[in-house]
Amino acid sequence: MSDKLKQIIDKQSEQKDSIVEQLDDVVQLVGFMIGDEEYAVPILAIQEIIKPFSWTRVPQVPNYVLGVFNLRGAVIPLLDLRMKFGLPPKKQGEDTRFIVMRHGDDVAGFVIDRLTMAIRLKKENIGAAPDAVAGDDSAIEGVGKQADKIITILKVNKLLERTF
Amino acid sequence: MDEFQEILQDFLVESFELVEKLDEDLVELESNPEDLELLNGIFRVAHTVKGASSFLNFDTLTHLTHHMEDVLNKARHGDLVITPDIMDVILESIDLMKALLETIRDTSADEGIDVSACVARLDKISNGEAPSAAVEPEVEDVVEETPAEEEELDYDNMDPDEIEAEIERLLAQRQSEDKAKREAKIAAGEDVPTMPEVDEEQEKEEPKAEKKEEKVEVKKASVPVKKEQKSTKEKPKAAAPTKRAATTVEQTIRVDVKRLDHLMNLIGELVLAKNRLMKINEDVEERYEGEEFLEELTQVVSIVSLVTTDLQIAVMKTRMLPIGKVFNKFPRMIRDLSRELNKKIELVLAGEDTELDKSLVEEIGDPLVHIIRNSCDHGIETPEERVAKGKPEGGTISLKAYNEGNQIVIQIDDDGKGLDPEMLKEKSFEKGIITEKEMDTMSDKEAYSLIFRPGFSTAAAVTSVSGRGVGMDVVKTNIEKLNGMIDIESEVNVGTTIKLKIPLTLAIIQALLVGVQEEHYAIPLASVLETVRISKDEIYTVEGKSVMRLRDDVLSLVHIGDIFEVERILDASEHAYVVVLGLGTSKLGLIVDTLVGQEEIVIKSLGDYLKGIEGVAGATIRGDGGVTLIVDVAALMTMAKDVKTTALTTPEEGNSALKEKTKPSDYTVMIVDDSKTDRTIMRKALEPMGLTLVEAADGQEALNILKSGDYNFDAMLVDIEMPRMDGYTLATEIKKYNRYKNLPLIAVTSRTSKSDRMRGVESGMVEYITKPYSADYLASVVQRNVNFKAEFL
Repeated sequence: MSDKLKQIIDKQSEQKDSIVEQLDDVVQLVGFMIGDEEYAVPILAIQEIIKPFSWTRVPQVPNYVLGVFNLRGAVIPLLDLRMKFGLPPKKQGEDTRFIVMRHGDDVAGFVIDRLTMAIRLKKENIGAAPDAVAGDDSAIEGVGKQADKIITILKVNKLLERTF
Repeated sequence: MDEFQEILQDFLVESFELVEKLDEDLVELESNPEDLELLNGIFRVAHTVKGASSFLNFDTLTHLTHHMEDVLNKARHGDLVITPDIMDVILESIDLMKALLETIRDTSADEGIDVSACVARLDKISNGEAPSAAVEPEVEDVVEETPAEEEELDYDNMDPDEIEAEIERLLAQRQSEDKAKREAKIAAGEDVPTMPEVDEEQEKEEPKAEKKEEKVEVKKASVPVKKEQKSTKEKPKAAAPTKRAATTVEQTIRVDVKRLDHLMNLIGELVLAKNRLMKINEDVEERYEGEEFLEELTQVVSIVSLVTTDLQIAVMKTRMLPIGKVFNKFPRMIRDLSRELNKKIELVLAGEDTELDKSLVEEIGDPLVHIIRNSCDHGIETPEERVAKGKPEGGTISLKAYNEGNQIVIQIDDDGKGLDPEMLKEKSFEKGIITEKEMDTMSDKEAYSLIFRPGFSTAAAVTSVSGRGVGMDVVKTNIEKLNGMIDIESEVNVGTTIKLKIPLTLAIIQALLVGVQEEHYAIPLASVLETVRISKDEIYTVEGKSVMRLRDDVLSLVHIGDIFEVERILDASEHAYVVVLGLGTSKLGLIVDTLVGQEEIVIKSLGDYLKGIEGVAGATIRGDGGVTLIVDVAALMTMAKDVKTTALTTPEEGNSALKEKTKPSDYTVMIVDDSKTDRTIMRKALEPMGLTLVEAADGQEALNILKSGDYNFDAMLVDIEMPRMDGYTLATEIKKYNRYKNLPLIAVTSRTSKSDRMRGVESGMVEYITKPYSADYLASVVQRNVNFKAEFL
């Protein structure tokens, strides 16, 4: 009897280990479109995703800083990723979302064109950023390979860094 | 270790509090050397600090306070009369004590400060008047005597007058005893060292012996002191029974400032929620006029707002400190300065009980120090000069604080030589601070404010007190940082009055909300002097800058839109509002389009990402949930100097070049109705014509579509009853835009009363179609209004 129990317990702990292993291997990302490109950020860096609402313009900032908005009592900057990536501005539509990202104490909302999906990627399927864009200043963490496409994974801390 | 830290913290807090009061008491003592109660108080401070520091093993501090205690003890027993020279040494030792306490606070150890010189001086004093070694036993005698007497007399049952008399009697008795003993000793030929020089010689001659003596002295002294403590504890009890009672009634707890800050933040959130609630209540009132539940809602909202306001005041009050905390250090400062400068200066304090926010108390100290130093150094003349001018020999500086509305006013008056505007102007011209032209046009008030310019100094020579031209600049920047104002009045040879006006608190402020184009900004009300409505032709341009005449003054103007790069899309009206801003001593007129009103706002930071934007002090969340930026008035004043005037020249329209209509679909009509059915009916009626049709479900959406500029509309069909924004409001909003001024708006509604029609016309509707209508009729009205070309039919 006790042997049996032991076996079961052993089996369970083995399973647990394999789950942990699995979690270690997999990165969960949220994918979104900006222009024609698909990008992704780690799901843990995302505080929330909200539908667009009104914001207040702030003077003396680059054009991709749209202004500030009220997120349940906190005043948070709003940045347009299209413009940040050098794409022409586009009207906000049905699919537009604000993704609120957090890194440490820094929080900001980012305007994206469209959400795609939550993605689970194995670590081995994430490659380093191409040499030409790699480096400390790059906002690209790496490139995720999926069956039919590749996704650019962004560095949240770089996105939240003030560059002006 | 943690426990030790905790004890250490308590010790530091207590000691700093004690020391703060000490300065004031000591200066008072100098003018009132016989005051036993004061002496007792001061002695107790030294004693408490000594006791605690020896417990915590701060040897240097213990050593110093021990010697202070010796001197004070003598004074207390009448063996020593406090002269200014002795007071200098005592004050010096207190400074050292403060320095030691600060070192302990920063490093948790009392090393690195040399107290031996001061201790030696203290010893000299205590030896100088009476040889301590010989006196000690006497003290013991006295100690034994006093309790014995106390047993005889029942102090508790005596009334205060009797106790006073008794104390005086005891004091006189002991003084005469001491005198007699001293005389007896001198008569007996004992060595009584009275001259300090003698002491030094002795030291040189026999340093080893002296050291030994010192040690012995210390040991001996510590014994009677302990006993003495008992009697001091009893004495004040008897001398001031009423005071005791008062302090026991007043109960206080120490609270961590962080907790108060947190509480303040929460209140801030609550105020925002309250504003929001009030806004919603207003909207609901408009919509459901006359309904019963509305009254209840209004009641609840007003109670919530009332309680919130009270709560806010209550929390603010817990953060309030009496300004006396800052004032306390000035008697000492004036005393030191007057000795240093050889002037006779008296300081009069008033309104020490006036309270203001803790953060402000911390900020206000430095500016006051600079102003008072300045008054002492430059304001008050030397006694000879004063006598020659027929003034009393001693000058007076008065420092008072009082409430004025939502502000605290701190007023510094001196009866010195006053400011001479002409002299100020010339000096600044010499130093290149102002131009010759400025010099000629400058008013007296403006001339006074020159003293706040960096690099300005009227002192002929740089002294240790002032004259470097830095101090007053610091005053100005600090006060401006607090959103405060400085006002100077002066008369030559009569005196100068400087008033600092500071808002009560920093976190929640009253603000004036102004509108420019579609944006709103909040201006701290403390910086707003007045608002005036002007017409365009009251604005003059001088050297590329806009100015206006405000009563007798010329006010320079700047448009808020130029400062904040506001895009001009709305039609500028013939009239504008000027908000007259005052900060420190400077004034500026800020042109805005509309005045929205006064509101209580909570200052929030823009965060790290957007910090440091010039002209923006922060943001606040308004009742409607939107974010409004708060104007940084100080920065605005500097920015205004570099801004070119463009605001008042309305840009000529070149953008609305109408394209020739070549096909029916070139005509675009917007349908605004909240009912899908109604929109479909209208669409069906107009589709046969081949127009481009755009739909919007309410006024807000319609306005957004218009603003986006994606279409060039030729007409709009507008329903009146709609959620979010009704048809009338939409029409009024649309008419504010230059490019849509002539856009035909057609009301389509089931409201048929005459007053509805009137309102429609007032808000700028050109046609009024009542539901139900025939499709043909609608089509024909639209055709007429868009100037539909006949060939397309």
